[in-house]
Amino acid sequence: MNYNLRDMDAWYYFWVGNFVLAGSAFTVITLIVLVRGIRDLREMFVGLRAEAQQPR
Amino acid sequence: MIGTHFSGLDWVIVVTYLAATMGTGLYGRRFVGGIADFLVAGRELGLYLAVATLAATEIGTITFMYYAELGYKTGYASFVNGLIAGLVMIFLGRTGFIVKRLREMRLMTVPEFFQVKFSRNLRVFVGILVATGGILNMGVFLRIEGTFLAIISGISLSHIKAAMTAILLLELVYTVLGGMVSIVITDFIQFIALSIGTILVTIWSVHSAGISRMYEAVRHNMGAGGFNPFSNPNYGWSYVAFQVLLMLAVHTCWQTTAMRTFSTRSPEVSKRLFSWAGFIFLGRGMMPMMWGIAALAMFGPAQNSLEAMPRMLTAILPSGILGLVVAGMLAATMSVNSSYLLGWSSIIAQDIILPLRKRPLTSLQQVMLNRGANLFVSLFVMVWGLWYTLPGPTYFYLNMTATIYLSGTLVAVVAGLFWNRASTLGGYMAMAGGAIATIAFFFFKTPASYAGAGAFGLAAIGMLVGSFVAPRKQPALQVAPGA
Repeated sequence: MNYNLRDMDAWYYFWVGNFVLAGSAFTVITLIVLVRGIRDLREMFVGLRAEAQQPR
Repeated sequence: MIGTHFSGLDWVIVVTYLAATMGTGLYGRRFVGGIADFLVAGRELGLYLAVATLAATEIGTITFMYYAELGYKTGYASFVNGLIAGLVMIFLGRTGFIVKRLREMRLMTVPEFFQVKFSRNLRVFVGILVATGGILNMGVFLRIEGTFLAIISGISLSHIKAAMTAILLLELVYTVLGGMVSIVITDFIQFIALSIGTILVTIWSVHSAGISRMYEAVRHNMGAGGFNPFSNPNYGWSYVAFQVLLMLAVHTCWQTTAMRTFSTRSPEVSKRLFSWAGFIFLGRGMMPMMWGIAALAMFGPAQNSLEAMPRMLTAILPSGILGLVVAGMLAATMSVNSSYLLGWSSIIAQDIILPLRKRPLTSLQQVMLNRGANLFVSLFVMVWGLWYTLPGPTYFYLNMTATIYLSGTLVAVVAGLFWNRASTLGGYMAMAGGAIATIAFFFFKTPASYAGAGAFGLAAIGMLVGSFVAPRKQPALQVAPGA
């Protein structure tokens, strides 16, 4: 097989770096959404209730 | 029967999860007072809830399966797909390009844009293309999700078909009754469950396969093409260009994603949604691709590429964890299917049937019409999912069924928003050009990257030619009528 080992390793480290960044961001955002999404849910219910009480 | 650690404890976890989802889904129906509540949750989504529902909608078992398949077949080079998907989304969030203006128009469906900017008949034409591409796209979900569950739970495929039908019916019940409100509530729970599952599986698979063994497996089986996307025969420059355009189109014009844009509280929230979700989309791609590479390291390249990842999970995950993961995958399955069900049926009701009626329907009559369309799409998906056989890797099939309409839609949306000369004839020619080039993939076996890039090119040419031949005569509207 004809390939350049150094080029391959550079790509490998590039992808591993991206993977670590992506996995960390995914985890952190999940935690933030878990905590703050509940407040958003409550506000959505309040908004929908208020809208339902307005005359159509 | 396939060997698995799936036990009674796992079944308890799964059944409890399903019951909780149904309960919360049914709770949403009390908030549906009209068509805007049913389709865009009254435009009441805050940032974090919007991130949860967008992520839950676009991360399904199907996503894990096709991305893991790409990782198994093309190694680390497959990460280019995840990188493009995430970066394009972050770009849209930072700039507000397309999404902010679409949100300002107070739309409920993507084809509605075409009536506002072009004409009612073009809306119907686009609606037909969108519904066809979208339902064909969704049509393979059940079979692939069923394959995953059959392998991981050890149940035979014939029993899984019945189980998948039952799950589809559960989704149908809460989608029909509560529409987008029910979907948003269940998506929030499903996002948490699927995220826990995704993180657990990633840690477990990398730990079990071993990072150096994964590197060696890719190097040994694929050489440089397993790392460098530009020397991999499946990718290359034309593929990267196609993916950038496709992701731009998917994130802005894909009905289920666009419905989240339309549902946000304000245009500013819609922008921030994309900035945040972009980081989720990086992980959405790269984590399951890593599972595919782990499966390659553990089993070698001789496995069925679609089945390698679930087979690896049955081998490495212990009882209890397996139940949590299956609950997470079911969460992913249900959130995607319910949103897609609502998305495509809303097009049939709002963009094909309603514009063709002589007398308009009231808001509540529209809700009933949408519920009927929900039923129709469910039936189609059940039948199609049982007999259709994929022509190649799942990811490319999904890309191309989406491109049928996304290529023309992206071109027409950009032109409609930013070019005053863009005309109705240009819109027709863009949609037709994109669809014709995509159909070449299915009938003439043209490689996905050429057919896909060609579809966007033909759509752009169609828009230019049509708009110069018959330019727009009147200025377009800025907001959806009746919004």
